[in-house]
Parts: sequence; C-alpha cells; structure tokens
Amino acid sequence: MSAIDAAAPVLPQMPVAPEVSSGVGAARFLGSERTFFGLLARGALFLIVTLGIYRFWLATDVRRFLWGNTEIAGDNLEYSGTARELLLGFLMAIALLAPVYALFAVASLIADWVGGISGIAGLVLLGLLGQFAIYRARRYRLTRTVYRGIRLYQTGSAWRFAILSALWFCISVVTLGLAWPWGQASLERFKMCHTFYGNLGGRFVGSGGRLFLHGVILWVIVIVPFVAGSVIAVALVDWGALIDIMSAGGADMWEKIESSDANVGAAVVCALAALAWLILSAALLYPMFRAIVLRWWISGLRIGEMSATSRLRSGQIYKIYLRFLGYALLFALAAAVLVALAAFIVGTLPAAFKETPAGELASGIVFLGTYVLIALGYSTIYQSTITIRFWRLSFETVDLAGLGELENVRASGAASSAFGEDLADALDVGGL
Amino acid sequence: MGASGSGIFFDGKSSERHVVTIVLDGQALIVKQEGQETPLAVWPYDALEQVTSPDGVLRLALHGSADLARVEVRDPTLAGAIDDLSIPVDRSGMTSRRSRRKVVVWSMAAMASLLLMAVFGVPYAATALTPLVPYAAEMKLGQAVDRQARTMFGNDDPSKPLECGTSSEEKVGAAAFGRLVARLEAVAALPMPLSVTVIRKNDANAVALPGGHVYVFKGLIDKAKNADEVAGVIAHEIGHVAHRDGTRTVLQGAGLSFLFGMVLGDFVGGGAVVIGAKTVLQMSYSREVEAAADRYGIDLMQKAGGDARALASILDRIAGAIEPGFKVLLNHPATKERVAFIMRTARPAAGAAILDASDWAALKTICGKG
Repeated sequence: MSAIDAAAPVLPQMPVAPEVSSGVGAARFLGSERTFFGLLARGALFLIVTLGIYRFWLATDVRRFLWGNTEIAGDNLEYSGTARELLLGFLMAIALLAPVYALFAVASLIADWVGGISGIAGLVLLGLLGQFAIYRARRYRLTRTVYRGIRLYQTGSAWRFAILSALWFCISVVTLGLAWPWGQASLERFKMCHTFYGNLGGRFVGSGGRLFLHGVILWVIVIVPFVAGSVIAVALVDWGALIDIMSAGGADMWEKIESSDANVGAAVVCALAALAWLILSAALLYPMFRAIVLRWWISGLRIGEMSATSRLRSGQIYKIYLRFLGYALLFALAAAVLVALAAFIVGTLPAAFKETPAGELASGIVFLGTYVLIALGYSTIYQSTITIRFWRLSFETVDLAGLGELENVRASGAASSAFGEDLADALDVGGL
Repeated sequence: MGASGSGIFFDGKSSERHVVTIVLDGQALIVKQEGQETPLAVWPYDALEQVTSPDGVLRLALHGSADLARVEVRDPTLAGAIDDLSIPVDRSGMTSRRSRRKVVVWSMAAMASLLLMAVFGVPYAATALTPLVPYAAEMKLGQAVDRQARTMFGNDDPSKPLECGTSSEEKVGAAAFGRLVARLEAVAALPMPLSVTVIRKNDANAVALPGGHVYVFKGLIDKAKNADEVAGVIAHEIGHVAHRDGTRTVLQGAGLSFLFGMVLGDFVGGGAVVIGAKTVLQMSYSREVEAAADRYGIDLMQKAGGDARALASILDRIAGAIEPGFKVLLNHPATKERVAFIMRTARPAAGAAILDASDWAALKTICGKG
C-alpha cells in the first residue's frame, strides 16, 4: 500500500523492480493482516446468515487478497476466478454425486451384499474422488492465476494422479511412513511436469531421498518408540492365558484377567505410554516437520530456467504456531464464557416453555448457534494467523534465480472449469 | 486530447512489461509506447473491466477479450480520471458491494425456503411416499435396519446373548411373553409378520423398526408393575408398525440428509449443524407420530380386552426417572401431555388383567431370575 504509493508515478527511467536485470529477484507479500482479519471476520458473519452459501465468495475474496498482494520481481499476481464459477462448479458436483449417493442407498436396500461392500467401496471411491478433486482444484486455481498478462495452467489426467496418489498412500502405510518422502517427490513431479506458465514448463527437482534424510530423525523420534512400545505391549501379554479366560466368559471376567498373570495391566500401561509419546512428540515436532517439507518443496520448484531456493527456518514456523496457540487460548476463554452464557439462557427459560416443541427447538438452536460461532471463530483465527503467515513466509524466504527469462514468456493454455474445485468442496477435501 | 500519464502494459501475448504512456481521449483509453506512432492498444471506456489488484494499483482488462492483456495505473490522478470516464470501472467498490449484498440476501432467502422444505416439505413427502413402498421392500429395509440396530444397541450383559428368552431358565418367561404378543397381534391383523423381542438393555424403553421388528428393553419389564403396562407399550409400538413409521423415518432421514448434507456442503462446523438440525427436526416430526401411535395403542388394548390406561401409568413412571438435562435427546416429547391424553381418551379397565398372575410372574423372568 504505502510502498506502492511511494513508487507511483512510475517513471520510465526507473523500473519498479531493479533486481530483474540481475537475474535474481525477491518476492514479497504486501497484504496487511488487519485487512485480512476483517475480511475473514465479515465472511464468517455472512457464512452464518447464509448457512454456508457465502463460502464461495469468501474463498474468492481470500484468494484475491493473497494473490493480489504477492509481488514477484516487481509485479503482482492476479487471481481472476469468480465466486460465480465456484457456485456453478458446486452445482455440477452435486449433479454428479447426488445420483451416485441415491444409487448406493437404494442398491444397499435391494441387495444385501451391496450394503456389505458399500462401506469399503465407498471409502475407496471417496478417497480416489478426493484426490481427483484435489488435482482438478489445482488446475482451476492455476488457470485463474495471472502474472504479467499470462496465465498459468495444468495438463495431465486427474485420474492418473488419483491412482498414483492412492498407490503411494498404500506404500506409505505399509512402510510406516518411511516411503512417504518418495511418494511426495513422485506426486510433486507429476504435478509440476504438468504445470506451465505460458510456454514455460514446470519441473520438480526435489528428491525423495533428500527429504528422507532431512526428516528421518523426526520419524525415529516419533514412530520408533511408538512401534517399540506397541510391540512390547503385545509381547508382554500371555495370550494363551488371556484367551482361556475370555473364552470361559462370565461376569467376573475382568477380575479374573486382572488377578491372572497374563500381564494385561502392564501391557495396557505400556501401550498407553507408547500412544502418549506418539501424540506428544508428534505435536511438538509438527512445526519442524512442516518447515522441512515446505523448504524442500519450495527449493524443488522449477519453471523454465527459473529456480527457487528457500531460506525458511524451523524457528519461524514454531513462532507462527505459538502465536496461533496464544490467540486460540484467548479465544477458548471467550468461548467458555459464551458456552456458560448459552447454558444460562437455556437454564432461565421457564420450565413450562421448555416442555413445548418450540422450547426444545429454541434451546437446540442456542446450543447449535454457540457451536457454530466457536467453530467459525477457530477457523478465522487459524486463517488469520497460520494461513497468512505461512503464505507470507514462503514468499519472503525464497530466493528466485533466472528471472531474466520472465521478460519473454509467450501466452498459452486456456481457462478450465471450476468443476473439480467444487467436487473437492462437496467431498470435504477443499483447501485454500 | 484529454489527460495522460504513465502506466504499465502487458499485451497478454508475452510477459514483457511495457512502460507506456496512457492517453485518455473522447471515447477510448489509448496505450502508447514512446517512439512508436501506432498505439499498442485502444480500449473503449465502456469495454474496460476493473480486475483485482492490490491497493494503490488500478488494473484494467478489456471486457470479452480472449487474452489477458492488462493495463496497470499507479498514478492516483490518472486512475481517478479513468474512473470518471468509464462506467464499468468502479474504484470505490460500490458495484461489487451491491452485488455482494444481493448474494447475501438471496442466500438467506434460499436458506429460508430450504428450512421450510425441511420442516414441511420433507415430512409431507415422506408421508405421501410411505404407502407407495411395497411391503416386501419394507421387510428388506427392516432386515438391514435390524442388523444395524442390534449392533448399535449393545448388550448390557455381555456374558449372555442379546436376546432374552433363549436359555432354558428363560423359556417359561418367553412362552408367557409370546402369549401376550400373540393376543395383541391377533387383534391388530397387520399386513406383515410381527417380531417382538426382549433384549438385555437396562433402559426402560422400546423401539419399533421398519418391517415389523419391535424391541422391548429389559429395563422396561423391570419397571412394569403389571402385564397390562408391558402390553400397553407393545400396543403403542404395534401402532408404529401399522402406521409404517419406521419406513417414514428412514425416508425423512434420507430427505434431510440430502437437503442439508448435499446442498450446504462443508463449511466449518457444517457436519455438526447438519446432525443437530436433523435431530431437532425429526424430533418435531415425531410429536404427531407418537400421538397417533398412542391412539392406536389405546384402541388395540381395548379391543384385546386389556387396560388401555396402563400405558399412561408406565409412561409417567419412566418419565419421572429420566434426568431433566437429557430432555432434548428424548424422542418422545411432552410425556405429561401424552399421559393426560391417554387418561382422557381410554376407558378404565373393564375385565381381568391381560395375563393371569402366574403368566405375569413367568414373564418377569424372561431375562433370567434376579
């Protein structure tokens, strides 16, 4: 804002971004957090009164703000998507999903076996559709990103991406997460190889092995004690004795188990300790994990001959999370007061009124309203502390090289529909 | 020749940044590059489109253009002059605010009509559709719901099977219970077979599922003072079966899930709101349904020669035992009102009890002695 005002009017002899000529340029984020918070708070209010319909407009506003205030080599990004497109895509997603949903419901009533497999099949299908939607949503956002009068775009089959993603998910689970870095690298390669800025193609050069080396210590700290604890817990139990008692049954089964020498007590303590370690260490190390992955990811991005190197430090990410935690705690206090108030209001209603359906409806609405206020409050705090700071930090800690190429990129690619974006919304996997 | 000033132009074909002079003439904005006679672009004022930009920058596009050519003006005086000349350009954001207001107002209207649909449309549609569901389909549905319900109930005494009346010491009670049910079923003359089961649940409750499955909880039998009270509750549940309320509830649930789940999608906390709204709405539907089942139960008890007022006495006793805080979760609302209604409508007991004393004593042991 003020920085731009100071630069205007732009004189022909004085380019806005003198760094361009040297080939190395900075990226900055100029958005004010206060403005962003105002936008989110107003959006939350509108979300309540429209029971959620406003989310398309809020999402568009958020992106316009983030994109528009991001400056790379002296020029700002532009988000050219509209809420109307998102709404249309959402309607398309409903049109597709509603018959599938109805079909499953009817089929499971007619044939028993459908009901039996629909749970698992539904999960697999939803997982695949979710990844499909994530890829399509990325395509939509890229084609709505304009920089210097040229759009970015994405090719590639969303189904192939979904299948690739599902395969890596299975491998990661089987290897207890050890294969995850290679999966990420493979999926990022897929995404970036199908990403274009005008006639410049993207690439991803981050390697799974490198991410593995950076992150394996976290895995050792978080996962190894948990697995070891679980294995010890299982080994401690004398399964033969336990099964004998269980199969005998009876009301005093638990007492018998306690008094027997099946070691169940020790095993339970061991398993709980392992679980506590998993949760505690994961929570403490999560910001460091985010920092490692983000640094690795940004440093692996290439478009044409342009390259990015991230100087992101873990401490900066910890600061972001601590700030969120502070605000979240303050909000929790406010929420406690709100809940007490809601309980008080319901408590003071005359008993005769509470007996009537209108009374039950009223107290139901008071509690639901309180819940929605709290949920929206947390989401607003999250976005106005974590989302925006991650965005800002990502751009402020990046060194861009090879920007000379920006001087002559030719336009290519066309805008895509918002269908995938809103499939993601309908499936609850929608991101930023 | 009008005002002029400097700006930046991207032609939409290449990423090259042109530092240009912008001239505002009578009809159009003209983009000129120093040293060139032919302008880079001539954009009529009414075809200008303001696109998103950070504060302090006026970014313009040509409406309906296939490429993404952009003019950026950072000079506030020049930007003001363009705003004055072009109707679509709206630096104050008034047009966008107005369209935003329209969105909010129309969404609220849409939500109001959605709620009306949920409160009146869904129950009406479910009631209209229920008689069209073939009995064979209801039986199928009943089997599916029955399987789910059994796992959902959970057994309060895991050392024994969920169903009472299976072991040898419980067989006598089961036989007495069977005689009671048979007497009611004979009078009711339902279009599908009835299956009434006592299960090991300590709550004083009973439920009717689609397809003629009725479950009476052990807690209810423990709380009952005589056989007529148990019979009254079963008669009420047979009312649900005869009215096909289970099927209607499934249809209503599906309708509400669709309305709220699909249309509202996922905004934060949306899932809980959907479940909450469904509970509250289904509760409001259930009122009339319970009253109808009570009327049916009274009628059936009188035809079967039992004490129709026994339902009122057991309802009163159960309701007294329920913690007031859980009122919202109960799906049998306004118990007092129902008790009063039954006492008003039902004739006092005329003849003997519906089961003789020895059968009633046997029935009490259907879930084992003690």
